[in-house]
Amino acid sequence: MKSIQARLSLGLVGVLVVVGLALAQISLWLFEVGLQRYLETGLRKESENLLVALVRGHSGLELDERRLSSAYQRPFSGYYFRIDFEGGSWRSRSLWDMDMPRPPTPGLHAGLELGPAGQQLLVLRADYRRLGQAISISVAQDYTPVRDGFRRMQQLGLGLGLVALLLILVLQRITVTRSLRPLERTREQIAQLQQGKRSQLDSEVPVELEPLVAQINHLLAHTEDSLRRSRNALGNLGHALKTPLAVLMSLASSERLNDLPEVRAQLQAQLEQIQQRLSRELNRARLAGDALPGAHFDCATELPGLLSTLGMIHGDHLLIRHQVPDGLSLPWDREDLLELLGNLLDNACKWADSEVCLSIEQEGGVYRLWVDDDGPGIPENARAGVLERGARLDEQVDGHGLGLGIVRDIAEAWGGQMRLLESPLGGLRVSIELPRRVAR
Amino acid sequence: MRLLLVEDNVPLADELTQSLQRQGYAIDWLADGRDAVYQGSSEPYDLIILDLGLPGLPGLEVLAQWRAGGLSTPVLILTARGSWAERIEGLKAGADDYLSKPFHPEELQLRIQSLLRRARGLANQPTLQAAGLHLDEGRQCVSRDGQDVQLTAAEFRLLRYFMLHPQQILSKSHLAEHLYNGETERDSNVLEVHVNHLRRKLGRSVIETHRGQGYRFGGVVE
Repeated sequence: MKSIQARLSLGLVGVLVVVGLALAQISLWLFEVGLQRYLETGLRKESENLLVALVRGHSGLELDERRLSSAYQRPFSGYYFRIDFEGGSWRSRSLWDMDMPRPPTPGLHAGLELGPAGQQLLVLRADYRRLGQAISISVAQDYTPVRDGFRRMQQLGLGLGLVALLLILVLQRITVTRSLRPLERTREQIAQLQQGKRSQLDSEVPVELEPLVAQINHLLAHTEDSLRRSRNALGNLGHALKTPLAVLMSLASSERLNDLPEVRAQLQAQLEQIQQRLSRELNRARLAGDALPGAHFDCATELPGLLSTLGMIHGDHLLIRHQVPDGLSLPWDREDLLELLGNLLDNACKWADSEVCLSIEQEGGVYRLWVDDDGPGIPENARAGVLERGARLDEQVDGHGLGLGIVRDIAEAWGGQMRLLESPLGGLRVSIELPRRVAR
Repeated sequence: MRLLLVEDNVPLADELTQSLQRQGYAIDWLADGRDAVYQGSSEPYDLIILDLGLPGLPGLEVLAQWRAGGLSTPVLILTARGSWAERIEGLKAGADDYLSKPFHPEELQLRIQSLLRRARGLANQPTLQAAGLHLDEGRQCVSRDGQDVQLTAAEFRLLRYFMLHPQQILSKSHLAEHLYNGETERDSNVLEVHVNHLRRKLGRSVIETHRGQGYRFGGVVE
C-alpha cells in the first residue's frame, strides 16, 4: 500500500496541472480574442480613413496621398492596405513588392503571413459603396509583436505556475504531515504495544481515529480479560481437584493402611500419576503464549524476587548466581517466564551440591537461557529419556521429570528448543534457545 | 510444639490434624481467615500452616496483617495455586515456606521440622542434636552415644521442645502453652511427671530445675 502522503501529493499535482493548464489556456484565448476585437476597432477606423481619402479625380477615383498616414509609405512598416474596386486595386507603398491577397469575405482575418520577416497579419476587409462604386478596403496590421508578447506571457505564466505548484506541494506536505501526526503517533504506539512497552493505546485521538483506537483498546481489554478469566477458571479447577487429591494422598499414607501395603502402594502410585498429569496439563493450558502484548519479563525487577524465593526454599547453603546483561527484557509473558525459570532453577537447586548459575544472553534474534548446577548430572544416555515425549510420567526421574517437562512445554509453545548438556560446573546444564518473536 | 492449622477444607484439615498429632505436635485448627488473624497473633504458636484460599479473608491478607502486627512466627503456606508467580508473591508477603497441593504428608513433616529448626537458628540436619543427644523425629526416639532410648509420645514432645530451646529457662506454663492445643486441660503435674521420666531415662542433669522459674535443658550430660 502506498502511503497516504504520496497519494495525496500525486492527486493534488494531477488536479493542479490539469486545472492550471486549462485555466491558463482559456484565459490566454479570451485575452487574445479581446485584444483582436480592440485591434479590429482601430483597423475599422483606418479603413474608414482610407474611405475618406478616396476622392473623385480626373480619371475616376483617386487616393488623396496627403491624407494617408506615413506608416503606409514606409516599406514593411507593419501597416498595410489594399483597396479593390471595379477598375483595379491599389496597394499601400509599405507592401513594397509583396502581394497581400484580398480576404475572401468581409470581416477580421488572422494568420496571414507576409514578407521576408514573416510578419503575421491581422486583416480587416470592409466593403463600402462610394461615388457609385463598390469598394472593398482591406487594412492589415502586423500582429507578430502581440503574438510574441503572448508567447512571452505564456512562458512567464508557465514558470509562475510551476513555482506555484512547488509552493503548494511544500505547503500541502506540511499540512498533511501535521494532520497525519495523530496517525503516526498511533502507529508508534502500536509498535510500542508489540514491544510490550505499553498495554493500551492513547485514546486522545482525532474523531476519525477514535473508533479504530477504541476498538483496538477494547480488543486488548477483552483479550486480557478473557485470558485472566480462563486462567482463573483453570486455577479454580486446579484448586477444586488438588485439595481432594491432597486429602487422598494423606489418607494413602495414613496408618490405617499399614496392614494393606499393596493397596497403599497402588493408591500412592496412581495418585502420583494424577498429580503429575494434572499439574502438567494445567500448566500447559494456562500458558498465555503471545496472546497478550505487555507484561513483559523485566529481568532486573523479576529475577531478585525469584532467586530469593529459591534461596528461601532450598536453604542458605546454595549459591545461586546469575549472569544477565543490564536492562534485558524478555518479550514473553511475565508469569509464563517465571514458571519456566522457576521450574528450571528449582530443578537445578534440588540436585546441586553448592552452586547454581543462571545465564541469559541475547544474540541476534535468539535468546539463550541456561542453568548450570554442580550436582550429579544425568548420564548422556539417560538424557533423552528424561525429555522424551510420551515417556510415562512415573518412569521419569523424580524431580527432573515433572519440572523439566513443564519447562519443555513452555519452551515448545514459544517455538524454542531445550537441550540437556554437561555443565562446566560438573552437573547438568539445561540450555534453552528461544527465537525472538517476529513483530506482527 | 504447638501449631496453628488454617485450612477451610474439612477432610484435609482432619487428615492433617491426625497425621501431625501422630508426629507429636499440638494442633489448633481454624477455617476462617478473620479468626486466624486474631488467634494467630494472640496465641503463642511455634508455627502456622496457612491455606491461601480461605473464607472470610484471603490467606495472603491474613499473612500481611500478621506481619504488619509484628508477628514473627514461621508461616508455611499451603495452596493449590502453585505457580511461581504466586509463590514469589506469597514469600514476599512474609511466608517462610511454600508447599503446593497436593503434597506427600512426609514432605509436609520435613518442611515443618526444617522450618522449626531454622526459626531457632539450627542447621538443617537430619536429626535434631543438643547436649550430646540425637533426636530422630521420624522414629520418635533419642540416641545417646549410639545407644537408642525409647520415648513415649508425651516424652518425645517434651524433649523435642527442650532440644529446640537448649539453655533456656522454660516455665511450666510456657511449656504447657506450647505442648498442648487450646482444647486440652493443662495440668502442670502431668508436666512434672514427664520431666521426671525424661530425667530417669537420660540422666538427672539433662534438665535442671530453677525454683520458681522453670526448667532448663542442656546441662552437662552424665
